[in-house]
Amino acid sequence: MPETTTTETEKQTEATAKRGKFPAVSRELGLMILIVLLPEALSVMYPLTFRPYFWTGENFAAILRNLAFEGFLAIGMMLMMVGGVFDLSVGAMASMIGVVTGWLMKSAGWPVPAAVLGGLAVAALGGFLNGFIVAKVRVNALITTLGTMGVFKGIALLIGGPGITFLPESFTRFGQAEWLGLQSPVWLLLGLALVAHYGLAHTRFFRQYYYIGSNPRAAHLSGINVERMQMLAFTLMGMIAGLAGIVYASRIATATSTLGDGKELGAITAVILGGASLAGGKGTIVGALIGVFFMALMQNVLIIMRVPSEWQGIVLGGVLVLAVAVDSVMNRKQNR
Amino acid sequence: MIEAPRQQPPLLSLRGIHKRFPGVHALKGAQLEVGPGEVHALVGENGAGKSTLMHILAGVCQSDEGTIDFNGQFNVAIASERAAQQLGIAIVFQERSLFGTLSVAENIFAARQPVRGLGRIDRRKLFASTQALLKHVGLEHVRPQTALNDLSPAQQQMVEIAKALSLNARLMIFDEPTAALTDTETRALFRVIGQLRQAGVGVIYISHRLEEIFEIADRVTVLKDGEWQGTFAVSETNPDQLVSRMVGRELSLHQRHTDVVSEGQSVLFEVIGLNDAESFRGTRPYLQDIHLKVRDGEIVVLAGLAGAGRTELALSLFGARLRASGEIRIRGNAVVIRSPAAAIAAGIGYASEDRKEAGLFLDMTVAQNVVAAKLREFGSWWLDDRRGRSVAEDFRRRLRIATPGVSQAVRLLSGGNQQKVVLSKWLLVNPKVLIVDEPTRGIDVGAKSEVHRLLREVAGKGTAVIVISSDLPEVLSVADRIIVMREGQIAGELNGAAATEEAVMRLASINLKE
Repeated sequence: MPETTTTETEKQTEATAKRGKFPAVSRELGLMILIVLLPEALSVMYPLTFRPYFWTGENFAAILRNLAFEGFLAIGMMLMMVGGVFDLSVGAMASMIGVVTGWLMKSAGWPVPAAVLGGLAVAALGGFLNGFIVAKVRVNALITTLGTMGVFKGIALLIGGPGITFLPESFTRFGQAEWLGLQSPVWLLLGLALVAHYGLAHTRFFRQYYYIGSNPRAAHLSGINVERMQMLAFTLMGMIAGLAGIVYASRIATATSTLGDGKELGAITAVILGGASLAGGKGTIVGALIGVFFMALMQNVLIIMRVPSEWQGIVLGGVLVLAVAVDSVMNRKQNR
Repeated sequence: MIEAPRQQPPLLSLRGIHKRFPGVHALKGAQLEVGPGEVHALVGENGAGKSTLMHILAGVCQSDEGTIDFNGQFNVAIASERAAQQLGIAIVFQERSLFGTLSVAENIFAARQPVRGLGRIDRRKLFASTQALLKHVGLEHVRPQTALNDLSPAQQQMVEIAKALSLNARLMIFDEPTAALTDTETRALFRVIGQLRQAGVGVIYISHRLEEIFEIADRVTVLKDGEWQGTFAVSETNPDQLVSRMVGRELSLHQRHTDVVSEGQSVLFEVIGLNDAESFRGTRPYLQDIHLKVRDGEIVVLAGLAGAGRTELALSLFGARLRASGEIRIRGNAVVIRSPAAAIAAGIGYASEDRKEAGLFLDMTVAQNVVAAKLREFGSWWLDDRRGRSVAEDFRRRLRIATPGVSQAVRLLSGGNQQKVVLSKWLLVNPKVLIVDEPTRGIDVGAKSEVHRLLREVAGKGTAVIVISSDLPEVLSVADRIIVMREGQIAGELNGAAATEEAVMRLASINLKE
């Protein structure tokens, strides 16, 4: 092929490329813009009722404290959705592991570190079970995790009743610690996010999830062990959810059996807002954090504005569908 | 039986049909005539235009030029599948168009169920009509209420045929109906076709199995490269004549690759007695008793018709399909291959025929695609993206992949360039044995010759190359040696002067053992 024709096609594809690259960052970017503009706009519109209450260090600490729990779940969920699967059992898993850990230290009398490790081991086992059923037995992920969600929730209630209270001080000390004005769960979340980000963005091992999510068959034929990677994703997700349950039990000194109810949907909402796709192969840990932050911010803003809490679901649901719809319309225009 | 052209006016008459797709002139003035009560066979190699012609008749697509007369109406337009049905044309497609979770009855009468008052489905009538149709196609033991998924593939194919029969068409088209059938069902089908003939229905019958055509057809029309090659009474022709009509392409000698690797070269890749885990018609392994040898630097082409088992063999060698038995040797050493990962580790690469479904990560970049099968090379822990991009950049230059950069999403590349990305992925692995499945399907002529040159270059470095191709001129121009497959078995081997299009087609379509 002569050199000239190559450059001509290059020019043609370059034009499509520029348009083509845009939507990959647009969801995260759009959300960032909204995160910055929304409080600014409200501050201008309501200088007396919004501004003084929102722009305080304490309010920001509260926002971060409130997002930490779902932040853990969202990081795990992003890992799963990049690999093309998802897990509905994470909320129930967090409840169950909190209760199991509390039971181990209070009723079984295990020392605190052993109880925490025991809780994480049960979480890993539960996650592996999900992964085994999905990857090896090949039951659809939605059905599998819907089922195990019920199982985990039931186990939490069986062991803990409504909850296990008055957990030992040596355990709760950690969750209630503060450093630089932020509670320890927030620091733990940041640490986990950092590790997960570097893993997913830069390590060979975790980057395989992008291939698996993008095209599982091609990944298999490229020598990637898809089944094993999927089982691992579920196991890690289980452990992260379990960790979230333990951290929260520590923070509030109580292992609540209903702690994680409905939180799986919050996590899925956050990662989709943050750029993940149900089809897989897309998303970043940064995106997951942006998604979670946006949800916590909305919640905070609505509370300050004294909007009845019923509106939270309506607003967040609307934003979710809107964000994905805009993407879908833009993609379709490009592919034409 | 047929001494002269038919006396009655024909049921169907197609004249001067042209159809162009982007980049392909699929039909060039094709013609076909079918009388009432006639079984008319249509033959030709892969890509000869048979399916396109049938799609025009079935209303799936429309011709660009030409006239269709049908059932006494002149110059009819068949604008949609529905229009074809209303005219009285029914087609049994190769790919099944059924609903697995619904009952046999609901499949046969999909959206045409008999109704009573208030639009309620008349189940008794539905089941009775279904029962009669099932009996007709030899499935009298199947209950109309059975879910389709509970039937064997062959029985499902017969349900598809029953569905077409339920339309009471004037013209029935069968497109490779026996590919999925066992002998029992094939007998039943031939009985059905006999009854259709008695009832004065016209039948168009497409099959790769020439012996079937000589068993049931009255006349046969040959297509080649979208052109009509002649219509013959079956009683006045023979398989050899048909095959030479099907290929008969003038081939200048320089096209043929002559630098044949000498017999003396050592054997790099060897397959001994491979048998498939899946069975064919329940009687024998689908892939049966495969023996294969490829020498250093040799290009072996696996030729054969669609469904001959070539892709299945490639997947089996690559560890992506279960084997019942057989040994694979590389340089004389037996290797254990139970997964694609093991195959790659042993030095085997496989570029799939279906680029989009099984080869590419469409939303990922050129660079990410190129490194996909060799991630280990780019860091045991951290992935070195910069080096990945620079390696991809080398391939972009060497293979002339037309893309503004290696960070471009593969989805935005043309088919030929996508194929080069797939080949880059496997060249990077630097396999001892490279299997490429239909490497030039759907790509333009320029890219095609570049791919051919590349394969020769790869072989020149000592790699054993296996090419699967259905494109006869490609088979002849690329191969050092040609192995022809037929129904999951190796039908024969050709090289040197013996390798002609005619010889390949004969091995691929005539069962010499019978």
